[in-house]
Amino acid sequence: MIPVRCFTCGKTISTAYEEFKQRQSAGEDPKKILDDLGLTRYCCRRMLLTHNEIIDELNPYQ
Amino acid sequence: MEIQFASLDDAASRFTLSGASPAFANALRRAMIADVPTLAIEDVRIYDNTSALFDEMLAHRLGLIPITTDLTAYQSRDACSCNGAGCPACSVTFTLSAEGPKVVVSGDLIPQDPKAVPVHAAIPIVKLVKGQKLVLEAKAVVATGKEHAKWQPTLVCGYKNHPVITIGDTCDACGMCVDECPREILTVKGKKVAVAAGKLSECSLCRLCERACISTGIGEEPAIKVSAEPDRYIFVVESDGSLPVKEIIKRALKHIKGQSDELEHKIREISGDDKK
Amino acid sequence: MASSYKCARCKQKVEIDVNVRCPYCGHRILFKERGAAIKELKAR
Repeated sequence: MIPVRCFTCGKTISTAYEEFKQRQSAGEDPKKILDDLGLTRYCCRRMLLTHNEIIDELNPYQ
Repeated sequence: MEIQFASLDDAASRFTLSGASPAFANALRRAMIADVPTLAIEDVRIYDNTSALFDEMLAHRLGLIPITTDLTAYQSRDACSCNGAGCPACSVTFTLSAEGPKVVVSGDLIPQDPKAVPVHAAIPIVKLVKGQKLVLEAKAVVATGKEHAKWQPTLVCGYKNHPVITIGDTCDACGMCVDECPREILTVKGKKVAVAAGKLSECSLCRLCERACISTGIGEEPAIKVSAEPDRYIFVVESDGSLPVKEIIKRALKHIKGQSDELEHKIREISGDDKK
Repeated sequence: MASSYKCARCKQKVEIDVNVRCPYCGHRILFKERGAAIKELKAR
């Protein structure tokens, strides 16, 4: 799952993830999406850019 | 001492503090970060959890959710009459029960007090697939950032000295410093370089312009000089949403005053001069 | 103190005595079931 807050500054970034994911898969430039979402600091931007969602890979077990 | 706001809303603020000592500026910064109380989930009782995340991970995620705090209705846990046991005056409970398939979000937490709710309702907590279940109870308490970062009301909270840029007579408007400045605050104006209007406060005092000026072979001293005003500070404060920025600043200042009053009182007690 | 397990293949409840093996289907992978106790945690 996406971390609730940015590790460095503590801004709540998890709320932006769903929109970021959708728009990125639609082929939009990540820079523009992050600017639209109001993530100005590079600490918050890397949270979304470098996240790898693995919960769907874990869910089939158990 | 004077505070002048450049911008102020509930989420973020930028202001200049003038006529203060470096010690006071830092005290204000530290008080805003670590001495203003907010609500955050602290105790979690997990009744059932068949999700892919461990109980500990869920509890940690819940703890990080910012909760809107009305400090007139709640008291800090340490100062509360219950002595930190947790009573309705310093804590709120939330209940959550969900069954998959669904993404459990912070809005699914059912609060006991409709005013103390998560700041954002769309924070994902865990994704449940069919057959997975989550039932829990969470207790949020009022405490300060001193204890744990989840109680910090601020995100960005810092200051710098107000910059002063002086451009000497030796400036020949070569424009080297203009190109070098990473914040683009300099422009060539006529036969000299000048600071662009309203951009002075953005200077980070990096002094790259001084170096660029020297490298042109102008002499021993650069024509442009960057220095800091010793008793004027630019503060940037951002809130996580649990409290408006104005409230954070007010509470921090009140805290500093309370502490200095206490110190004064203690000193008078020790010196036996408590009649005054 | 035999805690209950669940077979990973046939999903039946299994009690372990000597062998770690499902008596119904012979599968050797068992899941330990979550206890009924309420877990209290600090959110840190």
